[in-house]
Parts: sequence; structure tokens; C-alpha cells
Amino acid sequence: MTSLVPHLVNGLTLGLLFALIALGFTLIVGVMEVINLAHGSLFTLGAYLALSTIGAGWFAGTPFGIWWLELPMASRYFIGLALGPVLAGIAGMLLELCLRPTYGKAPLYGLLLTFGAAIVVEEAIRLIWGTGERNMPVPQMISGAFLMGGLIFSTYKFYAAGFAIVAILMVWLFLERTPYGAIIKAGAHDSEMVRALGYDLARLRLIVFGFGSALAGIAGMVMAPIWGLRPHLGIDVVIPAFLIIVIGGVGSFWGAVAAAILVGMATGITGAYAPAWSLMSMYILLIAIVGFRARGLLGRRSALEN
Amino acid sequence: MITLSDIPARGGTPFTLPMGLFAAVLATAPFWLQWVGLYQYLGVEIAIWILFAMGFNLLFGYTGLHSFGHGAYLGIGAYGFGLFQKSVEVSLWGGLLAAILAATVAGAIVGAFLSHRRGIYYALLTIGFGQVFWFTAMKLHWLTGGEDGLLNIPRPDLVIGSWRISLNDNTAFYWFVAVITAVAVLLMWRVVNAPVGRILQAIRQNETRARFVGYDVWRWKWLAFTVSAAFAGLAGGLFAMAQQSAYPDVMSLHQSGVIVMMVLVGGGLVSFWGPVLGVVLYFIARDVLGGLTEAWLLWYGLIFVIMVMVRPEGLAGLLHTTAQRTAPPAAVPATKPEAV
Repeated sequence: MTSLVPHLVNGLTLGLLFALIALGFTLIVGVMEVINLAHGSLFTLGAYLALSTIGAGWFAGTPFGIWWLELPMASRYFIGLALGPVLAGIAGMLLELCLRPTYGKAPLYGLLLTFGAAIVVEEAIRLIWGTGERNMPVPQMISGAFLMGGLIFSTYKFYAAGFAIVAILMVWLFLERTPYGAIIKAGAHDSEMVRALGYDLARLRLIVFGFGSALAGIAGMVMAPIWGLRPHLGIDVVIPAFLIIVIGGVGSFWGAVAAAILVGMATGITGAYAPAWSLMSMYILLIAIVGFRARGLLGRRSALEN
Repeated sequence: MITLSDIPARGGTPFTLPMGLFAAVLATAPFWLQWVGLYQYLGVEIAIWILFAMGFNLLFGYTGLHSFGHGAYLGIGAYGFGLFQKSVEVSLWGGLLAAILAATVAGAIVGAFLSHRRGIYYALLTIGFGQVFWFTAMKLHWLTGGEDGLLNIPRPDLVIGSWRISLNDNTAFYWFVAVITAVAVLLMWRVVNAPVGRILQAIRQNETRARFVGYDVWRWKWLAFTVSAAFAGLAGGLFAMAQQSAYPDVMSLHQSGVIVMMVLVGGGLVSFWGPVLGVVLYFIARDVLGGLTEAWLLWYGLIFVIMVMVRPEGLAGLLHTTAQRTAPPAAVPATKPEAV
């Protein structure tokens, strides 16, 4: 059994990271009923922007850039961790403005528009940062590896999993314990009523989309050191994200988290026996669950079904 | 917004203006392609993708079932053709039959899973299945050759009686592909204008109502998916001949999304001929924009995004409204059937 332990730990950390990726996605699906296929591209964009922040980016060579690069790595890293997601959030807000003509039409149009946007963002990344694979630097204190019970674990993965737990709890607290979270949830439940109560629905959607995209950017920044950074990373990311949403049930917060951990564990355990096929397990899981229970684990009825 | 159902029933006579135009362009392409600065192989590619896109539109536009994993069936057709040449015998018709059969079987199985679903769940499951096929093609090295795919697939000669025509030359191959595409398009025209086509459109407009009228909706949805997978398989077989290889890249979500983009940009949601416009525009954009800039997909993606925003009915819808606007008001009802 001991040989299975690292795979289970790996599966659990992977599951938490999947949950982090799916967090912004589920928020947008839940409130706006838009399947945001550009989620993965915003994820990648956030990571690239953070990368440029850490490496001085366009200011390299200027006095400001030189001064910037003399700062300690850790502080540059954490500023990147803040700035990348904020910029990704702004990109997400722009996307929301483009989405406005599709509201009230079949959900297909939102799906198509975000697919087009995903291609645009991906190509723009290719144009700006080049096609090659890039490495995200990590500060000393969270890199390296440590021994536990005779097994080697990567410190960074633990940091990332811990970060995921904190982020999940923060988002949950925001949704459950703040007035703004209540409005967002009400918007997901009955947008007409929210409008009737005098809230600005357009602004609510803009903020939710921006917030969801910023979460994608954070996930990108955290995942980049593990998965590497390449322009077409988006498609590898958006697929697990939506699989998780569908398995967990569209619009269900804890359903998504549970599904993410389920998918992570399934991937981890398959990885123990058939590493080449480990990614396949999530598709099998999707078909097995959705084939028999259309709304996923904890889903409720939504407009997307029609 | 206009829809496909604005096309009136007319007993399925294929002798309409767009059909004539389509046939004329298809039949004369080799004579002027080089003259306008393009090349023969592009004609082959466009004809194959027209076949694929129109088969896809039976499902997407007519039945209103949004598949985002259709590249998988094109890929399965390509592998079916290639494996038949490699492990059974080198035969043109055998290979194409194997391609159609493989894709039909795959489509029938997947369709059985899908047909209870509707809306976005349908789309999501098609993505899931598409990814399963793509992933399997990547990983089953002994069968599919992994990421590189099957290489050096022969293009068998076309044998009619005592005639033996080599298809290795792209012009000869173009004629072969064009004839198959034309026959398939005629077949599809028959299908959508027959009562079957009306049932499929009824399902798109309102599935519940179609069920109440007494149609076995599950069976028709399954049939639409299977038939459309069969056409994809045929296109895949031709694609394997064209490329002389079969590889998993065409099965990826990206490629499956691109076919949706082509159909939508062309106006597959409003016109039988929409996919043709979409495919031609895509390949011209790829070659013309691609010659100007590395990032042609960026511009194509932007055009697509703007199109979804302002004119989701696509090019065909644009032509339709322009025709309506320029025609004298009294003539509108009369010209409407002919417009798209």
C-alpha cells in the first residue's frame, strides 16, 4: 500500500489545483450561464503577464527596469501574483462587453464567442511572448523538495495546494458572508428579480466576469511552475475546468470542488498503474457520471438545458 | 432573425441557382485556380472540407444539435482508410467504405449516449467523447502510430472496368473528390428537403413539441448524429488520401471548434449553402492572410468574434438580407425562397 501513498497525495494536490482552475469558471457559469471557453486562455494570459512582471517585461533596460530587477525575487513574485490576475480580470471585463449582444440568445452563441476569443488571446500570446516554452521563476522559500515518511515531495506543489485551499475558502466566504456575494448569488438564481430590486445587472455581470477571469489568472500564475508555460496551454486547462463543472453540476460551488478532487484522485490513481492513460480517466469519469446523471453530482436545473 | 426553416419545401428539386453555381464552380475549378494565384491542392482540401462541413451542418444547423467534437469522426474515417490500406489490402473503394463504416459505428455508439441530452449538455458530452477519441488516437501507438500518425498511406488507383486512373496527380484526384462531394451534397439536399429534413428541423425548433406530435425524438437525434458522422468519415477517408497520412491533430478540440467556426461564419444556421461559403472563406483567409502575417488566426478569430456579436446568421444571412433590401418590396415574397 505504501507505494500508492504518493499517488494519492499527488491526486489530492492535483484535485485541489483543478478546483482552483475551475473556481472562476463555475462562478461565471453559475451567474451568467455562459460557458467561458476563453477561461484557459485568460489563465495563460494571467501567467504570462505575471512572468513579465517578475522579469521587468517591457521596462527591461530602462532605469526603472534595472531598479526593479534589483528588488528581491520574492517581492517581485508576489507583486506579479497580484498584478497578473488583475490584468487578466481587465481582459475578462473586455470579453464581457463583447458578450453583451449574445445575452438572451441560445447559450450556443456565448460558447462560440468565447471560443473565438480563446483563439484570439492564444494567438496574441504567441505574437507577444513567442511560441517557445517558458519557465516561471519561483522564490527560494517555496521551491525545492522535502522528505516525508521516506518519500520525496515537491515543496511548491504543497504551497500551490495550500494556496488553492485558501482561495477556495476565500471565494466561498465572499459568496456566503458578504452582501455583494448575496447579490451575485441572487443574480444566478433570478436575474430579473435582482434587476427589479434596483441593482445594476450589467455592472454585476461585468464585475463577476472580471472576478472570474482574475481567478483564472491567479490559477495560471500558481500552476505555471508545475505545468510550464506555453501559448496553447489554454486548451489543456479549459477542458479539465469544464469537465469538472459538468461532473460537479453546473452552478454548484461544492459540487465543483468535490468533482475536482474526484478527478484529481482518479488521475492520480490511474497514474500509478497506467501513467500514459492518466488523463483519459477524467473523460471516462465524465461519461460515466453525465451519461447517467445529466446534471452532475450536485447540479440543479438551469437555463442551459434548453 | 431568419432560420433554416425559411427554406420552403419544394419537393427537393436540386435545380436552383445556388446549386447551379456550386456545380459550375466545382466543375471548373482546376481551370482557373492557378490563374487566380491559388493551387490545385487547395481545391482538393476545400472540396473535402465542404463535404465534412455540410454533413456536420445536418446535425448543427438543421437538427440544432451542437457538436463540438466532430473532428473525431473525420479522424476515425482517416484512420479507417489508412488501416485498411495497410493491413487489409490496397483498395480505393474498400478503404473509403472502411472509413465510412468506422465513423458510422463510432457515431452510432456515441449517438446512443448523447441522444437523451439537449442544449449545452449535448455540446459538453460531444466535447467529452471527442476528447476520448483524440486521446485514444494519441496513445494507441501500435494501432494509430501515436502523435505522428499513420504515414505513407497510398493513394490507390481508380479502376472503372478496364480503365485505370492514377490519382497521384492532384488534378486527377481533385476530379475524384469533386464528384464524390457533388454526389454527397445532392444526397444531403434530398435528405433535408424530404420529410426527414422537416422532422429534424421540428426537433431544432422545439424538441418537446416534436415529441408531442408523435415523433420518436431520440431515434431521429441518434440518426442525425450517425449520418453526420458517416459523412465525416467519408471526408476523413478522402482526407487521408489527400494528406497520404492520418494523424490525431484533426481530432483535437481546436479542429472541432474550427469546423463549427466555418459553418457559423458561412451561415450554416440559416442556409443549406452556408457551410460552403464558410469553408471557402476559411481556406482563402488561411492562404491570403497567412501569406501576409504569421498570426492570421488572430485576425480570423477577431472576424469570427465580431460576426457572432453583430451578425450571427453569417455570410449567407448577410447575402439574404442584402438581397431582400435591394429587391423591390413587392417581389420580396417571391424572391425569398431563391435567396439562399
